[in-house]
Amino acid sequence: MVGAAEEARLRRLESQVENGGGGAWEYLCLVRKLKLRRSDQVLRHGLALLNDPRARSKLGGEEWTLYEQVAIAAMDCQKLDVAKDCIATLSKQFPSSGRVGRLEAMMHEARGAWAEAERAYALLLENNPFDQITQKRRVAMAKAQGNISAAVDYLNKYLEIFMADHDAWRELAEIYVSLQMYKQAAFCYEELILAQPTVPLYHLAYAEVLYTMGGLENLQTAKKYYALTIELTGGKNTRALYGVCLCSAAISQLTKGRNKEEKEGSELQSLAVEALTKDYKKRAPAKVPLLTNMLRNMKLTS
Amino acid sequence: MGAECRYELSQTAYIKLALHALKHPSSPVNGLLLGPLQTPAFAADPTVVVSDAVPLSHSQIGLLPSLELALIQVEEHFGGEGVGVVGYYHANERFDDAELGSAARKIGDHIFRYFPRAAVLLLDNRKLEELVKGKGRDPVVQLYTRDSSKSWRQAGSDGGSQLVLKEPSANVVLMDYISTKKWQEIVDFDDHLDDISKDWLNPDIFK
Repeated sequence: MVGAAEEARLRRLESQVENGGGGAWEYLCLVRKLKLRRSDQVLRHGLALLNDPRARSKLGGEEWTLYEQVAIAAMDCQKLDVAKDCIATLSKQFPSSGRVGRLEAMMHEARGAWAEAERAYALLLENNPFDQITQKRRVAMAKAQGNISAAVDYLNKYLEIFMADHDAWRELAEIYVSLQMYKQAAFCYEELILAQPTVPLYHLAYAEVLYTMGGLENLQTAKKYYALTIELTGGKNTRALYGVCLCSAAISQLTKGRNKEEKEGSELQSLAVEALTKDYKKRAPAKVPLLTNMLRNMKLTS
Repeated sequence: MGAECRYELSQTAYIKLALHALKHPSSPVNGLLLGPLQTPAFAADPTVVVSDAVPLSHSQIGLLPSLELALIQVEEHFGGEGVGVVGYYHANERFDDAELGSAARKIGDHIFRYFPRAAVLLLDNRKLEELVKGKGRDPVVQLYTRDSSKSWRQAGSDGGSQLVLKEPSANVVLMDYISTKKWQEIVDFDDHLDDISKDWLNPDIFK
């Protein structure tokens, strides 16, 4: 989950580094901070830094963090020999370190040696049962082997202990969505909204799940959460604006013929229509006729 | 009905779906397949032509709002030309997952209701890997059609006769695009919703 400003900074740095303009270390730090998966770039630029003795010495203590970052990126790109070298270097520097042990277990994973990885993680957890990262590796491994029910199981058990781990709640919600277990996904988003009520992403995701579940009550609630998202994002979130339109159209379909008492809903949808049209006129003018027709067919405009 | 049908996959559609999958190697991706809705009256055998593809999502594939929006907008844009949704493509998240999952089947069912000869194409990861390594010859997709028992079945192992690439050189062109990392340019409907200045029609991608 990356904010727009950070996304822009990332893209700028990325193209700068790719075109030989320097700033590799800044880029690598940003990727690490935002927990993004840019393994191809990290491997290339990180390795270039590590192979340059002058650049490496300038990093001081951070050098080891870079070895770790490059090792993981190498595993993701299946360049296992590079990963092995990085881990060996780290192992020499930090003998019998749990953190290095975790990397070695990840190597087993990368090679597809699931049983060995499982054993390695179990050992690590014996020494430190509250090692969150290792616990989550177990979830990832289950998922990678296609054992989704085990992944869900592990994740639920993990969340019983570490219920403040928002990333874990999000992962669980996404897994539930992929299994079409929408009620359970909704529950996860409810937890997230309770914990962080000002994060628009959770309201939006919750609305999308409710819309998918369907039914009048869910649609009405979804519309509320789309509206909240619009408020929290200053009307700039296209999905939320569209969401209000979709909900309004679906609700009016379901309540056709009944007494239309809810006139207060129609102001929201005309505002959404207005905002969408304005934005498209500015940034995607070629699509304005398409948008206008679509909204008209949905009976949101006349 | 679908069991006797031939499907002709144009280079445009084929490459777009492959590039879409390559752009998001660690997530499932999906998209719509488009083609002319009417076969010419004089056609001897019913061949469904897939002339284009619209990439849809690379995240949260089980959710309805963006799927519905895309279907509406695709119909709005292409309806006038007699072109509509004739199928659906899907690429699984994991490399060794070669099954057509339930989300894909559901979306396939929905499309089938409007176009009874709908095709579902599942990306074949192993064939794609071979292609990237320069060894592949076959199309990197598996064809699924709805049989009389209302379930999606993979076209037979001689499925080569049911699904053909319209341009035989499509794989060569695809390999070329792979080597130039062309997948960075492809835009899907998800990308459009994040930034409406990005066009899911990908009008200039092959220029």
